[in-house]
Amino acid sequence: MFLSIDADDKIPIYRQVVDGIKALIAGGALREGMVLPSVRQVAGDLGVNLNTIAVAYRQLQDEGLVTVRHGAGAIVSATRPQGIDQSELRKLWRTTLTDMVLAGMNDREILAAAREELALLRKKGEPR
Amino acid sequence: MNAPTEFQLDVLSISLIVLFYVLYGFRRQWNSPLRNGPGYFLGVQVPPGFYSGPGIRWLKHYHFMVILLFSVMGLTLAAMVVAGRLDATPLWCGGTAIVFVATMQGFVAWTRHKIGANPPVLATVAAPLEARRLCDYVSWKLEAFVTGIVGLSWLTLFLRGHHVDWSNPVTTTWAILGLLPGKIVLVRSSFPLPPERTEEHHRLSEARRRYSLRYMDAFRWCLLANLAAYAVIRSWAAAQGGWLNWAFVLAQLVPWAFFVALMIRGEQRLAHMGRDLRPAGSWSTPFRPARLMLPGGLTWFTIWFGGLIGLLVFYQG
Repeated sequence: MFLSIDADDKIPIYRQVVDGIKALIAGGALREGMVLPSVRQVAGDLGVNLNTIAVAYRQLQDEGLVTVRHGAGAIVSATRPQGIDQSELRKLWRTTLTDMVLAGMNDREILAAAREELALLRKKGEPR
Repeated sequence: MNAPTEFQLDVLSISLIVLFYVLYGFRRQWNSPLRNGPGYFLGVQVPPGFYSGPGIRWLKHYHFMVILLFSVMGLTLAAMVVAGRLDATPLWCGGTAIVFVATMQGFVAWTRHKIGANPPVLATVAAPLEARRLCDYVSWKLEAFVTGIVGLSWLTLFLRGHHVDWSNPVTTTWAILGLLPGKIVLVRSSFPLPPERTEEHHRLSEARRRYSLRYMDAFRWCLLANLAAYAVIRSWAAAQGGWLNWAFVLAQLVPWAFFVALMIRGEQRLAHMGRDLRPAGSWSTPFRPARLMLPGGLTWFTIWFGGLIGLLVFYQG
């Protein structure tokens, strides 16, 4: 089970870490009670600043997905984020859909892209 | 069978060092430029046709340097034996190790500078999401046992030792106890993995970590056997002669042989695992410099090795 980041991506690294861990939780690879490595280890393993990972872990903690233990890594505490309702998510989705339509994608392409992303997400949960 | 004299023991230990260098060191260093396959020179990616052009010159220079290094080692060792200065063996070991490592690393750095940019800096990197806990790599019971043997050896030397040359226990103890922080640094050391074949790269880096820890443990057993045998020989008159002396020699030989066998086996296995993995990366900072790895490892090595050399020089003086 690996977490990857792209330094050339426009998305900030902390956000990529948050999204990566969330994707692993959503795909079922990370289950409740599983231990995540410490901030220090992840920072070293990715070659990024300690604070970047600390911010990412704090964000995950704020969303109720992990519980950070001082010096001993973090534990996946839930598989559903707290405080986010479906209407909020639909708003986010709507924004993305609008951008896709404006980018010239037709309905079939958008649906294919959605299916592809969903399959990728599910694949992350499969043992390698 | 007569008991070995101290001179014979020195000759025996020197023979072992030479055997180790010949069997393992020379062969390994000689073949080192091609360890990643024909597309690489010392871990640096080279263009196709390199070995039918400038590569021949690079290989010649490299092999000349290896021969020169081993010749200098052999000649200084022979000079020591002829001059009857076998007591300087530890200093010789430390001195040659420094010259060897500095020259080799200098050559590798020069190669990187001249042939190409390496390691490749990758924009996309990956990291395993598995917690690396110290207790999965270091056995605290074993550490307590090792420390106990060291303590017991010192107690024996203090209470019963005769004509004790304290340079031996002091230097050996420094080397033994100093390896634990090194093991901790090694467990905590980390670096990014490439996004392709991440699983295999991860397996290789974990195998490298485990083997390095095993080398350190095996080396420590050699030192521990030496310290314990010295304490017994210097503390009991009965142990200074007869067959028991041979038993002590054997007790030191077995861990040494194990250490050498482990090194050879480990190098072979790691070379096999990493032969086809691309990108090849390098020994220190594969794919992207890791911010947390180098300072800790370098600090530990400088203190441990520097202290060892300092003690050897101090006692030789």
